[in-house]
Amino acid sequence: MKQILTYVFTLVCISVNAQIQKDTIQTYKKRVLETVEVDFLSSYYTQEGDNASVSGGIGTEALTDATGTIIVAIPLNDDDILTIDAGVSAYSSASSSNVGPFDGQQAADPFVASSGASSSDVWSSVSVGFAHSSDDRNKLWSVNTSFASEYDYFSVGFGGSYTRLFNEKNTELSLNVSVFLDTWTAIYPTELRPFYGGNGINNTLFVNNAVTGNANYNPQFTPFNNVQRNSYAFGINLSQILHKNIQGSLSLDLVRQDGLLSTPFQRVYFKDIADSFIENFHLADAIEQLPNERFKVAIGGRLNWYINQNITVRTFYRYYFDDWGINSNTVSIELPLKLSDKFTFYPSFRFYNQSSADYFSPYNEALSTDDYYTSDYDLSNYSANQIGFGCSYTDIFTKAHLWKFGLKAIDLKFYKYDRNTTFGFNIITAGVKFVMDN
Amino acid sequence: MKKNNILIASVLAFSLNSCVVVKEYEKVNINDPDMVLSEKKCDRNLITAHSYREAAVGANGGKTGGGCGCN
Repeated sequence: MKQILTYVFTLVCISVNAQIQKDTIQTYKKRVLETVEVDFLSSYYTQEGDNASVSGGIGTEALTDATGTIIVAIPLNDDDILTIDAGVSAYSSASSSNVGPFDGQQAADPFVASSGASSSDVWSSVSVGFAHSSDDRNKLWSVNTSFASEYDYFSVGFGGSYTRLFNEKNTELSLNVSVFLDTWTAIYPTELRPFYGGNGINNTLFVNNAVTGNANYNPQFTPFNNVQRNSYAFGINLSQILHKNIQGSLSLDLVRQDGLLSTPFQRVYFKDIADSFIENFHLADAIEQLPNERFKVAIGGRLNWYINQNITVRTFYRYYFDDWGINSNTVSIELPLKLSDKFTFYPSFRFYNQSSADYFSPYNEALSTDDYYTSDYDLSNYSANQIGFGCSYTDIFTKAHLWKFGLKAIDLKFYKYDRNTTFGFNIITAGVKFVMDN
Repeated sequence: MKKNNILIASVLAFSLNSCVVVKEYEKVNINDPDMVLSEKKCDRNLITAHSYREAAVGANGGKTGGGCGCN
């Protein structure tokens, strides 16, 4: 038995050493990035629904958003790349306008947009990353930092990753970490503000507008003390070439969040408290209260199969769960169809489902005696289907030029997403890639 | 029992050499842009929309949390 174990151990050592020897053989070193590359990304997004979280689970969710992003990748030398990523997103929302629905221009109603300042906002972000590859291109590390800002939210993030390639670059293992240290500027529904340090029901809002239903309106409201929100993520990714036409990957992401995880302007209504209204608008009984910690786990896998020069199959599956009681499955398939050497068509389908968070209650179903409650339907039980169509134009010779930049690719895609509720969105995404002439 | 142990140990030892090795000159199809094991850049805003509107995040190269006042 001892002889057999010795023999096997020797075999194992020889095998491992052979693998390492294969990976350390010096080969020609190609630049990791030949020239400057610039990507322009944009999208136009619209959504509809009847369960606005700003008005406690009832109301219009109409929203439009336009986003523009530029990504510049600059080769600093043979081994290093500097990447700068900057974007702006401008949205207009009937839902968020009802943070303050009493604009006096029309009857306050959760299904009608008000003209309040919260009806629109701009989110902007910038991130800078640096990546270094080893001479043999089997090791890669990167670091990045990011800043993002909108009217009621500011974010600072940083992170890094390490990637190791094995087995003649057939196997790739990546580890990545990221940290976001964010701060809310808490904005509360207008009818609640007088009930902390103000004159409560004697406020002009209630004097000038008749309160119907329960005239003794007395909501449960205390502003949040801690407005920080921190997120810490750790990820592992393993990719493997399985065949000269097939490759796959497995990913695991672990995320911990702490701090203010509630959204300060999202209303909640209690079924054990009599309802109060101004015009058609149900006055908040409280704001969303969620735990100040959350732990998320996502496990995903991809399998891509190059069937022939005309068809490729791209598949993805993810299982997610967290300690708020949510479990979900995501499945998607995309079939790139090469119509010619320049044009590719992208039909796709995606299915998603999730269970409800432990703290979720539909509109007007929460209890005032609960510690945590939300009527944000993004945390409810639902399933969703998404279909997509897209087209890509690729010119590897970059014949078309804009100044010193050759046009390499144009992508245009459309997606339609529908839940098994009234919520749905449409999005058009576009991308243009330029490469700088050498 | 001895023979089974030898068989198992041999399979384990040789399995380290049986990982697929596709040579660089055989990777033409693997290196096709549509075979990349990540989302296309033009789909970034779609992935962001999913992370805003769905509880699940992660394992897809997109946001995992932070950077916005979303879930």
